[in-house]
Amino acid sequence: MAGFQTVEAFHPAEGTLELLPFRFERIEKSYLVSNMVGDFIRLSGDELERIVELRMRPGDGLYEKAYAAHLIGGVNQKAKRQILAFRLRSRLAFLRETTPLHIFVVTLRCEHSCPYCQVSRQSTDRSRFDMSEETARRALDVAFESPSARIKIEFQGGEPLLNFPLISTIISLAKSKAAAVNKKVDFVIASNLALLDDTILAFCKENDVLLSTSLDGPADLHNKNRPRPGGNSHELATAGIRRAQAVLGPERVGALMTTTEASLDRVEEIVDEYLRLNLDGIFLRPLSPYGFAIKTKAFRKYGAADWLGFYERGLRYVLEINRRGTHFPEFYATLILKRMLTDRPIGYVDLRSPAGIGLGALVYNYDGKVFASDEGRMLAEMGDRTFELGHVTDSYRSLLLSDKLIGLVDASLTQCAPECSDCVFEAHCGADPVYHHATQADPVGIKPLSEFCARQKGVMRLLLDLLENSPQDAAILRRWGGM
Amino acid sequence: MDVGTYVFIEFPAAVQSLDALQAAAYRLIGAATCQIDKTGDRWVCKLTPVSGSKEAPDTAALKTRFLDLVTDENLRQQIAHRTEGVRNVILSLAFGSLAGSSND
Amino acid sequence: MGWHVTLSLHGIANFSSGVATSEQSAVVRLRSPVHSMERLPTDFVIVRSREDLQHAVDAKLDGVVIISNDRLEGFPEAAKLSRVISVSQKFEYLSDGDIIGFHPESKRFRTLYRRRSGHNSFLVTDRCDHYCLMCSQPPKDIDDRWILGEIKAALPLIDKETVSLGFTGGEPLLDWREFIGALAICRDELPSTAIHVLSNGRAFVRDEVVAAWVGVRHPNLTVGIPIYAAIDHIHDHVVQARGAFDETVLGVLKLKDKGQRVEIRVVLHALTAPRIVETCKWFARNLPFVDHVALMGLENTGFAIANADELWIDPIEYQSELAHAVDLLVSANMNVSIYNLQRCILDRSVWPYAPRSISDWKNGYIEECDRCIEKDRCGGFFTSGRPRRSRGISPILAS
Repeated sequence: MAGFQTVEAFHPAEGTLELLPFRFERIEKSYLVSNMVGDFIRLSGDELERIVELRMRPGDGLYEKAYAAHLIGGVNQKAKRQILAFRLRSRLAFLRETTPLHIFVVTLRCEHSCPYCQVSRQSTDRSRFDMSEETARRALDVAFESPSARIKIEFQGGEPLLNFPLISTIISLAKSKAAAVNKKVDFVIASNLALLDDTILAFCKENDVLLSTSLDGPADLHNKNRPRPGGNSHELATAGIRRAQAVLGPERVGALMTTTEASLDRVEEIVDEYLRLNLDGIFLRPLSPYGFAIKTKAFRKYGAADWLGFYERGLRYVLEINRRGTHFPEFYATLILKRMLTDRPIGYVDLRSPAGIGLGALVYNYDGKVFASDEGRMLAEMGDRTFELGHVTDSYRSLLLSDKLIGLVDASLTQCAPECSDCVFEAHCGADPVYHHATQADPVGIKPLSEFCARQKGVMRLLLDLLENSPQDAAILRRWGGM
Repeated sequence: MDVGTYVFIEFPAAVQSLDALQAAAYRLIGAATCQIDKTGDRWVCKLTPVSGSKEAPDTAALKTRFLDLVTDENLRQQIAHRTEGVRNVILSLAFGSLAGSSND
Repeated sequence: MGWHVTLSLHGIANFSSGVATSEQSAVVRLRSPVHSMERLPTDFVIVRSREDLQHAVDAKLDGVVIISNDRLEGFPEAAKLSRVISVSQKFEYLSDGDIIGFHPESKRFRTLYRRRSGHNSFLVTDRCDHYCLMCSQPPKDIDDRWILGEIKAALPLIDKETVSLGFTGGEPLLDWREFIGALAICRDELPSTAIHVLSNGRAFVRDEVVAAWVGVRHPNLTVGIPIYAAIDHIHDHVVQARGAFDETVLGVLKLKDKGQRVEIRVVLHALTAPRIVETCKWFARNLPFVDHVALMGLENTGFAIANADELWIDPIEYQSELAHAVDLLVSANMNVSIYNLQRCILDRSVWPYAPRSISDWKNGYIEECDRCIEKDRCGGFFTSGRPRRSRGISPILAS
């Protein structure tokens, strides 16, 4: 029997190590490092320096740490390069499904008057602010030219249920088109649910339509954000949620919240309200600075630091609920965790590079104009047509390949932007050309001045801290990331 | 050398790249403006804290921060230089064969 | 003490006559006397008593296997039987449908297949291009290519209802063309049988081998490949082969790229268990698409005994790392199993992933286990080699 060799016999020969690409960020005295596919690792200054200079030896602990994290490899080794290559490909595979989301603004009419609403309200009885059937048909033609095997049609407004007849026409047309070309279609109606009735509910059940509504928190908070003649927005929303859950099932009813200054100190109550209504999780998201928000200066009333305080408090409260045994995810953390812990696509058009404008979503306005995003449409309401791509009479191809869209996507690529291209968080972030155009008059934006950037970094730092330092929370977060 | 509310920092041009100084300056936008001039064989950076608070700006902290940023940018350049080759190989493995068929 | 099973799967016949073959071995399927089904020339009827012997003679049977300590072949009527093999009572477990490989010259035989067992595995070769520190089947440098021939002859005789079959070694893919030929026979003769191959995976670094494997188009074929660490030199040291990690991982990538089923295996000992969290984190991030991960307690046999100083670690010492590692894999939606470790030492959180796994022919329990409420769900111990138990073994008396 031949002898066994010691581990030294299997150490790589001198000079056969190579450095692999990675990024870093100095955080106080240590460094946060991410490799080419965004896996994170923490290093001391000394460790970072030794890795860059390849001053490590197998068995010293640093070699192993760096090798497992894909910061170093063997110059003659093939597997690691192949792993990084296919993982990069997986992480960008979302590009193959072009424009999965199609938003139909079926009317601008609405009976609420929310101060932050990004839609220009028109009063209820003016039907020249409704989408026509002709426009809807042409918009469907464009939507079905998208090469995606599965598309989602989302109805927005105003209050889309004010034009329910058109919604039902669009859905039945869409279903026959989908069957004809062997595509799948999902439907969502984003509504305040005040106008929900049995007919609408029965239709939604029959056609598998998801309902998404707004719920900003307990009654006083919600009603303050959403004034309605009668002051009963919250009562109608909660009644609508319960009714819809009873008919469609709780998994087919979702709610989104908008954070205003009044919300900042009441996150626990907001979460409790969501639990009370048996909703399956909560999406803690910040306010966008558009439409009436700008006119009423509401968006300036809190900055990134305030929002991050709100978010952290909310996330910790949600985690406590999960630790006590109730499965209740926070959806923004869930999206980021999927990016950080897996290479699977997340299907969220607002956090990707190349940006989701046009490539991820198209918005068909009531008047037939086509926009690259719903915030882009709202900017047009204020006179800024930067994100207007064309009209429903244009072909999908010409809309997507327009110089305008290509220019905006190209300019805002995080892979190339100053600071973004070196940022340790870039692999899990996205371009937001609409936000940066609205706040800095430039699709890229100067990231040190960008509150989008500050919020993103803040959320990711918080999640990393929890993953590294709170084992029980980390296990919960990992489960969300795998959902 | 500090003069009033400015901070001056000098770097030998022979070993300090301008790109790195500019990248460091970029990260300071919002906290300070940075003017970079060349005097003889040295880069001279003039940092001016952005006014916004009533307190006197902490010039020592600003100087430390800028030096750290420059150190970081220099390191980034070093890493980019050393990994450019393998980075291109990995990118071409990832996307170069997309023209052919793939199972994923 | 408790109960334990250690079956002898090979031996030397006491007597044989009339069995000839041009091959090095003959494949023999055993049949119970009551079967009146059509018999193949490879079917030999089991004789356990003189009465059985008389029945066999009366029925003019073509071949018998005598299983008895009474040397029944000595009785005069036995002379009337044209082919006889006689083995001792030690092999009384042999029964209808079982298959043995018999060498007429040396009278050596091996039990190749037992129909009543859930753990049938063919040893394809004793040769290997690795030399793992804990190898339970230490490699031999001999020409044993005749074994594949024996296996190919046995496959058509196997019960078509067999749920699963294993192929192991040594390294089964050393003669990959021949071996893949055997897989094709499995596909044709045993289309409903799941096939599980254990391999070090190095052969799959070659495109022609992957292509041949894919070409079998087997409906249910999995290969189990060990990856012992996220670090090249650690894996290479465990398997005693330079460059193994790189080629093995590349082989896994190539197989998965072609949609083949791959299981990753990790044997837990002092070189692999302390870093199991790092290893499984690496699997979850880099190989999340593999079909299964098997984390396995050490079988203290073969080279594991020679290298005990380097390899032995009391399993109780790595249980919290193991639980964390399993959580990482499960969160990444991977299928995980823990084999060969006892429930009393496993963290409760991983019990759902710990099926009974030790092959029936080398499995047992100890006396304390009789009082344990988890005994029926626990896999027990290896009876092979020199069983070495954790200090944490003790009966679970309450939930």
